[in-house]
Formats: sequence, structure tokens, C-alpha cells
Amino acid sequence: MRHFCLLLLLVLAGMKAAAAEPFLVLDRQAARSLVEVKLHSAPTIIALWSSDCSHCKSNLKLFARMATTNPRLRLITIAVEPFSEELAAPLDHLGVPGARYAYGAESPDALAHALDPKWRGELPRTLLFDGNGGKEAVSGVMDEHGVNRYLRITAKP
Amino acid sequence: MTHFHKLGVAAALAMVVSALPDAVFAATPAEKAAMPGMAGMAKKVRTELASSAAFDADGRLLAVAKQGEHLMLYRSDDQGASWSAPVIVNAQPEAISGDGENRPKIVFAQDGGVLVSWTKPLGKPNTGEARLARSDNGGASFAPPITVHRDRQEITHRFEAITVGGDGRVYIAWIDKRDLESAKAAQKPYRGAAIYAAVSEDGGRSFKPEVKVADHSCECCRITATVDTDGAPLFLWRHVFEPNERDHALAKLKTDGTPASFQRATFDSWKIDGCPHHGPSLAVASDGTRHAVWFNQKDGDGRVFYGRLTANGVDGQRFVGGEKAAHADLVVAERRVAIAWKEFNGETTQLHAEVSEDGGVSFKPRVLAATGGASDQARAIKRGNDLFVFWRTEREGMRVFELR
Repeated sequence: MRHFCLLLLLVLAGMKAAAAEPFLVLDRQAARSLVEVKLHSAPTIIALWSSDCSHCKSNLKLFARMATTNPRLRLITIAVEPFSEELAAPLDHLGVPGARYAYGAESPDALAHALDPKWRGELPRTLLFDGNGGKEAVSGVMDEHGVNRYLRITAKP
Repeated sequence: MTHFHKLGVAAALAMVVSALPDAVFAATPAEKAAMPGMAGMAKKVRTELASSAAFDADGRLLAVAKQGEHLMLYRSDDQGASWSAPVIVNAQPEAISGDGENRPKIVFAQDGGVLVSWTKPLGKPNTGEARLARSDNGGASFAPPITVHRDRQEITHRFEAITVGGDGRVYIAWIDKRDLESAKAAQKPYRGAAIYAAVSEDGGRSFKPEVKVADHSCECCRITATVDTDGAPLFLWRHVFEPNERDHALAKLKTDGTPASFQRATFDSWKIDGCPHHGPSLAVASDGTRHAVWFNQKDGDGRVFYGRLTANGVDGQRFVGGEKAAHADLVVAERRVAIAWKEFNGETTQLHAEVSEDGGVSFKPRVLAATGGASDQARAIKRGNDLFVFWRTEREGMRVFELR
């Protein structure tokens, strides 16, 4: 019985790790909380993307690899379009871990403003938190060096 | 296994599962703080508001909008105060792009035919076909739609724009990735996508084989189309100038769709490897002045600009609206110029307009409306010299504002 339970635990843990995260609906309150710099105690990437954005894939691929190889790095993705079932496929294909959000029924303009008042809709848009009070927003395709540079901005003052 | 053992396994299983979210995927404080606002797992909430409107030769307002896998044509005889029961444009249901920079368009052939164009997304992401349906009876019914291009690869033929030339030819241009796909297959670099065009000499019933207008367009910003004073079609789109400057390009087309001229139209030098999702608008006055609005990031700030496009650069470039102004459209009638855009003020999305009575020298600003929900981009339209703004919002529906 003990062995059976242990086996179950291992199997379930494996299933959980491999299973894609379900999408969560983003509302204004959730958006404001996610980008609250005080609440990020670990290096975190919040990647804004959309199904229409071909350039977003290279960022998602990079962030997925970095988050998989660096256990301290948190990755959160936000599809900046209303939720549909099709949104999971590109993330699954690229093996993107971490919490997945998509816009809910609230005004997209209000959600975008709550996430990042300086953002004008260009994609990819990436919010980087160094886990030590530092925050940066970057538009466009990033490379690993750039991500690391931003994440360490205030990590080692 | 006994009943007791079954219960024991179930209890162990429940304990394991309940422990997993924290043990295996600990939520960050930010994620936990975000939780109370959650309605739970996402359900499909997509609302696609993209629509277009135009006045026909009799002064009736026609609007086209998406409803599921159909485009619906609405008619108003009172400038948008009330709308007729809709007519189905495509009898056979099909996928239709109808959000963001995508929208159905409506123009009129010289013989009075009503032409509705749209992009039909295909199976793979970011693929599509440019489609067109024609009505011979003022929009009472439509012939089955056609795909306007011969290339039927499952690739991008999207963001079509349509205009009718002075000679009655119908010109349609779109963002096309056939050259990008060929380059990828040959493992060669290729900047952006391309613009292709097709020409109809029978009022939109059929199209000649498409031709390339330009290499290296941006991939997902709406294109704008209008007609020059000599009746030739003009297309303005966001381009990718070397190495990655996403400024705008302007092409005037010959009657076969190939470019008679191609020029860089804006010079803001926004360098980004990304998708701005923010296309331009262009209108030509009877004196030949090319009025344009566009979005670019300049000196670090993303702003909407107005300017007059000339052979030697931009004349009178200035900001339109505030820091959150977005998706401006523009219409011109003789000396009258109207710009319409939306702007989020922290609480609601406001519909703004500016009207010039002196050919764009001076403008008067106005706030036309606001909404607390989702909204389409504003469309500036005209009936003779009367200027209007058409705006579709999730909560209020289709509304029309006259700019007196």
C-alpha cells in the first residue's frame, strides 16, 4: 500500500508537471496584482503575446527554455486577446510553462492599461521583475543576454 | 483490494492532488494576489466587433459586421439612428477575421455593385485568403464569394484593402507571405512579408492573377487604400525598412496592379522586431494633398501622428490626441478633413475627432462618445461633403456621429 501510494504520488507529480496549465481569465484586479512589483520576490517574466503575433513565438520559446533551466525564474504568459480554446496550442507546442492568462470580458483597453499604462499594443511586450524591486518593460523580440541584463538590474546593487 | 483500501487510496490520492499546486507549482505572491479576481478557468469570451460602413450613391448608409461565420449587411436610411434587418453576405458559413486590425470592408463598384471584402482564416495560425462578395441589387442579396488570388497555399494572404479606381477597376491588396515562405524553405533571410495586389476589370466579379507590389511589408497592421486625383489607386502600409524600421510605404499602382511608384512615406524610424498592430489611414483631397494619420514610436513614445505626405517627406507632422490616442482614421471632402480616434482615459474609452475646414491647416477637437466596454476602431466616412464617424461598441452597438 505504501509503495502503491508512493508510485501514485510520483505518477501524479509527473502528470502535473507535464500537463499544460489551464487558462485563467484576466480581469482588471488580477492584472494590477500581477504587475505589482512588491509582490514579485523572485525573478519573473510576464510575457504579453497574441495569436496574431508572429514575433511573439521567439520570445516565448526563449522564456520557456530559460524558465525550464532556471528553477528560480518564474514565467507568466498573458494572451492579450479574449480567451479561446485555440490559445493553448502555440504555448503547448513551445512547451511554455507557468501560469497562463487570457483577457476576459472586460474592456481590452482597460485590461491593457492595468497591465502596463505605457504599453501601446505592440507585441511582444515583456514585463521583467528582478525579484528585488526592479521592473522593466520591453517591446519586441529579446535575446537571453537582454533578459538576464534586465532581470539583474537591481538584483545586485 | 478491499473497500477500506479503496477509500485509503482515494484519500491518499486526494491528499496528493490537493498538495500538488503548492508543492509542485508554488504560486508567487503576485499570482496569489491575482487569484481573488479570477472568475475561474477561462471560458470562450471572444467578441469580434470589427466592422465598416459607407454611404452609397443614394445616401443610404451600409454597414458590414461579423456574426459568427457570416458577414451581415445592415442598412440605415437615417444616418445610423436605426438599422434594417440584416442581409447575409456569405450564404455558406465560413471563418471570418473580425478583430483587432482585421475587419470586413465595403466599397461600391462604378456600376453600383456593393463589394464586401474580408479575410478568411485557414487552419494554420496566421494564414488566410482574401475574399470578396458582390451584390448587384444594392445589397439585397450577394453572389457567392470568391477568393481574389490564385495562390492557394495555406499561408498568409490577409489584411486586404480594397478601392475602386477612377476607371472603374477594382483594386485589392493584401499582406502575403509567399516570398517569406519560399525564403524560409531555401533557408534564406527575408524581412517581413510582401504586399500583393489583384485587379478586377468587371466590377469585382473576377480578378486577374495577382502581382507583387512590394517586398518587406510589416506582417499584421491594417493597410489603407484610396484613390489619387488621377483616379489611380494608392495603398499605404507599414513597411520594414532596413534593418528593422517599421515606417510606412506608399505605392501608386498601374492598371495591372504593379507599382507605378513606391516611396517611403514616414520617417519616424521606429526600430522594433515586433508587431505594432497599428495601421495607417490615408485620404487625398481634390487639390492632391495626401492627408495621413499613423502610429509610430518616436523618441521613445508611441503616438498617433497626422501629416501631409509629399514627394519630399512629411509636411506638418504633429501629434494627434494624447498619449493613449490609438487607431486613428481620416476622411477628406474638398477642404474638410476629419480625424477620428479612440483614447482610453483610465476609466473609459473615448471617441475623439478633429475637424478642419481649411484643408488641414487648423483643426478643432471634439469628444464624441465614450464606452466602458470593448470597442472597434473608429471609421471616418463621408456623404458628399458631410463627414461622419462610425463606431461600433460592445455595449452600445453601431453608432454614427455627424461632424458638423
